Amino acid sequence: MTNDAQLTTEPAASRGFWGEAWQRFRRRKLGMAAMLFVVFLCLVATFAPMIVGTKPIVCKYQGKIYFPAMGYYVRSWENPIFRKDRFRNTYPKNLKKKDPESWALWPLVYQDPYRRVRDDEWPGRPGNPSGTKGHPSGLNFFGTDQVGFDVFAQLVHGTQIALSVGFISMSIAGVIGITIGALAGYLGGWVDVVLSRVIELVMCIPSLVLILALVAMLDEVSNFHLMAIVGITSWTGIARLARAEFMKLKQMEFIVAARAMGASQWRIMFRHVLRNALAPILVPITFGIAAAILIESGLSYLGFGASPPNPSWGTLLKSGRSAIQQTWWLIVFPGTAIFLTVLAYNLIGEGLQEATDPRLRQDSH
Amino acid sequence: MLHYLIRRLGIGLLTLLLITFLVYGLVRHMPGTPLTADPSMMDPSKQITPEEIVRLEKLYGFDKPWYQAYFVWLNNVVRFDLGKSISQNNASVSKLIADRIPATMLLSISSLVLTYLFSIPIGLWSTVKSGSKAERTVSSILYMLYSLPSFVAALFLQILFAVKLGWLPLFGMTGDDFESLSMMGKAWDIFLHAAMPIACFTYGSLAYYSRFIRANMQEVVRQDYIRTARAKGVSPTNIVVHHAFRNTLIPLVTLIGLTLPSLLSGAVILEQIFTWPGMGRLYFEAIGRRDYDTIMGLTLIFSVLTLLGQLLADVLYAVVDPRVTYH
Repeated sequence: MTNDAQLTTEPAASRGFWGEAWQRFRRRKLGMAAMLFVVFLCLVATFAPMIVGTKPIVCKYQGKIYFPAMGYYVRSWENPIFRKDRFRNTYPKNLKKKDPESWALWPLVYQDPYRRVRDDEWPGRPGNPSGTKGHPSGLNFFGTDQVGFDVFAQLVHGTQIALSVGFISMSIAGVIGITIGALAGYLGGWVDVVLSRVIELVMCIPSLVLILALVAMLDEVSNFHLMAIVGITSWTGIARLARAEFMKLKQMEFIVAARAMGASQWRIMFRHVLRNALAPILVPITFGIAAAILIESGLSYLGFGASPPNPSWGTLLKSGRSAIQQTWWLIVFPGTAIFLTVLAYNLIGEGLQEATDPRLRQDSH
Repeated sequence: MLHYLIRRLGIGLLTLLLITFLVYGLVRHMPGTPLTADPSMMDPSKQITPEEIVRLEKLYGFDKPWYQAYFVWLNNVVRFDLGKSISQNNASVSKLIADRIPATMLLSISSLVLTYLFSIPIGLWSTVKSGSKAERTVSSILYMLYSLPSFVAALFLQILFAVKLGWLPLFGMTGDDFESLSMMGKAWDIFLHAAMPIACFTYGSLAYYSRFIRANMQEVVRQDYIRTARAKGVSPTNIVVHHAFRNTLIPLVTLIGLTLPSLLSGAVILEQIFTWPGMGRLYFEAIGRRDYDTIMGLTLIFSVLTLLGQLLADVLYAVVDPRVTYH
């Protein structure tokens, strides 16, 4: 009882582990810049249809308010009334023609990632050039591809693919890797022997060989398939690290204390050990996000990516490669986007490593 | 040591069996067979009748379930027969692969040599000059290179050197007039074609190794024996090269073993971009054609290399570090 009283009267709690880590991370200018860049990409991905698109963000049509741009997220979120009234995806003229009273709030740039903008679709505006004539211009900031789709629009909408592939595939890899590593490291004994063999076995399979074989098994590839495939092939590094961390931590006194208090094994594993092992495990996960983005764009480049229409950055590179003599803009812009994103994740991963690893912390003093 | 080697080889063989079994299952579950996936089969004049397909499937053993067919394949492999490539007129797979090995080796060995040749001096130099402006610039450039995906770099280089400047050929391994060239001309032609692929293979590992050496050196130069050497009056160059660098060799040597397999199998995308007739490209083509035996042959080679690389890393570890022994 007296102990409890003493604890509660102690001075204000010091910053926790993550607070400390954040303080240290913030001091790294490059890491912060990379973090801001990723936040920027997240915003671009979230608001892509508001930045560039051919569907109004908000419009008033026949006395009602609609949000047609939502159709870019999920096809069915676009109100069926526009299909019934035969808009055929060309809103500017049809809105005026079918309801002179209507008004609309348009995206910042009138271009579309899934189709070619035609002549006079927007009153007085020429359509997109096709073939190898789509140089960057005032109407197409980053040019157009061979079929006349705007590259800027595809890059902006492709951000969604790049980011979600990174996050989701690494979440899958993280769950598999942490579970297997935790079981092997914490339980030890024959469980450890078996699971370690499994980890080594998967590590020995050349990953691109496995990924290509898995993708080739699918008839119709979607981005979710790719995320799952990348996830189930890239968890080995995480598992190895988690195993080592769990082995180290299970001998600590606070685990013995938890066991003495009668906590169940699962509770100890995932509430006590995992919390303390999370920081070092997050580092390979961050680097893994960069690797996953690379694999996705590489597969799309090889033509093994999601089935079209798929405005992935790798797909743009592929169409650029087929006419490399003329269409440099199809390579330079998406290539730079891939490079900057991978660089940003690597910088964040390194910042995280230095902010959370006590060994490196001592070195810097 | 011998005991250890035998045990490792035994485990390696078991791993190999499991990997090939797994990949064989995957490959056989891809939609289509070598008989249907070949583009030339689309040609009406060459189209085979359904009865003929049934006969061929029986001949090649596609009518059997995959796990049975796997043991037929394994039985042949044990007798050093990697099978035949159905989509390439029944050419022997060992010959198909052997034809592609020199092209891949040309890239991987040159890049390995170049990597070590440049990364060690750069790593040592940046340790000595640590903190100076020049060193920070070089380190940042190396970090950028490390994050630059090799296939993006390949495309950028192609635009710059092949399309805009016209100095280097865009793709392939030899020019159109290769046959008519003299001995020296042939070598020069291949060199020009290989320059960009080798650069793309090299820069990433160069950046990685230099950073790796620098990180290890920085740990070592804080050790007491370095201070002792300095106190004795050993020259700074001597300290870095003889006292410090020797002690960073241990992790560096093990890296050779680990990078060995990626030099061969990690080449699929780059060989595709440069239309380089190597093993990575063969693998890619074989997947598209559902060429079972070629896919399996290459998988076998890639996996053997991976396992050998890991074994080599562990053995070298014991060789360079007398504290490590295996029982």
